[in-house]
Amino acid sequence: MVNPIMLILIPLLTVFLINLVNIKWPKFSAGLSFLAIALTTGMAFTLLPEVMQAPIEVVIAGTKAPIGINLLIGPLGLMLSLIILVTSLLVSMYSFSYISDERKGMYSGLFLLLIVGSLGMVMTGDIFNLFVFFEILCISSYILVAYQRNEHSLEASIKYLLLGSIGSLFLLISIAILYRGLGTLNIADIAARVGELPPSTRIAAAAFFTIGIGVEAAIFPLNSWLPDAHSSAPSSISAMLSGFVIEVALVVLIKIVFSLFAFAALFWLLAVVGVVSLLIGEFAAYRQENIKRMLAYSSIGQVGLILFALSLGTEAATRAAFLQIINHAAAKSALFLVSGYMIIRTGSYQIADYRGIARRMPVSGFVFFLAVLSLVGVPPLFGFFSKFSIVMAAVSSGSTGATVLTGLVLLGTVVEAAYFIRVLQHFYQREPAKAVTAARSERGAGAESSIEAPIAAMLPVLAFALFLTGGVLLLGSITGLADAAVQDLFARLVSVLA
Amino acid sequence: MMIPLSIHTILNIGSFGLLVIGLAIIFTKRNLITMVIGLNVADVGANILLVNAGFVKDGTAPIFTTAVGSAQAMSDPVPQALVLTSIVIGFGITALALALIVKLYRRRTTLDVSKIRGLKW
Repeated sequence: MVNPIMLILIPLLTVFLINLVNIKWPKFSAGLSFLAIALTTGMAFTLLPEVMQAPIEVVIAGTKAPIGINLLIGPLGLMLSLIILVTSLLVSMYSFSYISDERKGMYSGLFLLLIVGSLGMVMTGDIFNLFVFFEILCISSYILVAYQRNEHSLEASIKYLLLGSIGSLFLLISIAILYRGLGTLNIADIAARVGELPPSTRIAAAAFFTIGIGVEAAIFPLNSWLPDAHSSAPSSISAMLSGFVIEVALVVLIKIVFSLFAFAALFWLLAVVGVVSLLIGEFAAYRQENIKRMLAYSSIGQVGLILFALSLGTEAATRAAFLQIINHAAAKSALFLVSGYMIIRTGSYQIADYRGIARRMPVSGFVFFLAVLSLVGVPPLFGFFSKFSIVMAAVSSGSTGATVLTGLVLLGTVVEAAYFIRVLQHFYQREPAKAVTAARSERGAGAESSIEAPIAAMLPVLAFALFLTGGVLLLGSITGLADAAVQDLFARLVSVLA
Repeated sequence: MMIPLSIHTILNIGSFGLLVIGLAIIFTKRNLITMVIGLNVADVGANILLVNAGFVKDGTAPIFTTAVGSAQAMSDPVPQALVLTSIVIGFGITALALALIVKLYRRRTTLDVSKIRGLKW
């Protein structure tokens, strides 16, 4: 049996190893980080059968919880870990050719730290460790956003850092309030005894916690950093940040809300906030001329949709939300990765400069097309099933409020379809833009030659596309895992209300 | 009439005061360095609140010596351990923020947030 702590330890120790290797042989660092992620992903898959039977608890340093620190890996944690690991495995493969400057070593190390932070957040059973892993995640993403060292990325990183640090402060205050009230840091122990707290203390802790994690989960109105940060990071990092980092923060928020602060009012507030994020994100995306900003705003919209589904508080809606997280991770990563090479080839971020690019980058154009269809929810792609089940779950929950909000969700989807179709029209136009005719690749000149991205970068993108089309065939086993994750989440809810 | 305040209450009020002052600096000032100072002030507030969560009335330092043998008479050591972690994280974030600001200053030669495009709150 693999000890689940290895999922965190292997990437973390590889970071130190990379920093050593980087002194002498910097070109091996990317390969090393890829191997570490591949090994970790394999291990996570071998844990699957065991976790589906019973959650694994890892006692650290020989002291049992609630006094000691523990890791708790249930189906929910493992499902998120798999999303994190598979996405990062493919993105790290893409990075081989995409990150070509001399700072590869630093990039690979921070990339692994980002994964360590995310994995730790979903696996830990201790609220202070949650804070520490949250900080690992945040600090590595601040640095990666600033990786390109131009004015935009530095500004975006500073803005992200200031807002993110305020979020971390609020999280810390919430932890201090909970510890003062209950004298424990173990999440399960807090959940069992949270009823002992006076209601005002619980509400204060819930408010600080929601705001604290809400900054990273990009909940409206705490998301003003996101469009800048996601659009000025390297495209591979944008794919990671949009693909799973926001969703991890969101699910951790919902997990804590379920197990500690299950107030009906908070669920309603989060549902409304989710729909507001969705509408603001989609309408803002509609107005963008810069492709990466458009994708970043679209992520705000998608996260709003996921938050809406999660906070409906029914099992069907939560399962649908998990499917949507998987769909978004694959589709948005593919979109960011494809646009990464379009930006390199044309040297422009403007959508107007991509007129006719699909003729010179046929595979990229087609993957973009597929990912857009899946994100909007066109059958028979994976996104159709997730979005359809969100809408069905919301309508069948029976309350008028949920039905009204569902109407707004559908409006958001229409807007989303509108701006993505506009981009696709640009891609498939006959008259190419100047930037497209002038684009050159390392393979050859000529206005008609292919400027497709290198194969090493296209393979992961194709893997995402394959999942979006063929994922429907896996729907049975994915739904099985999602169902187990839903049970995992709802088991916490019952223990609080009982 | 004076209301007797315990040191615990005073520290709690003080830490919330520091938090409010820090956040006010971040949201009202336009100079990036000042904003980082505000972040530090708020950070100190949160740290005091956290370490204060382990307050025990008349508690001594949580070290077993021959003079003090009972764990009941000691302050709770867990928040003190937590706050050390939190201070280190705060230090790291400050260092990173200042490094980024230096890089930005070399390109823009201004620290004024309102003059830096895209940095509007």
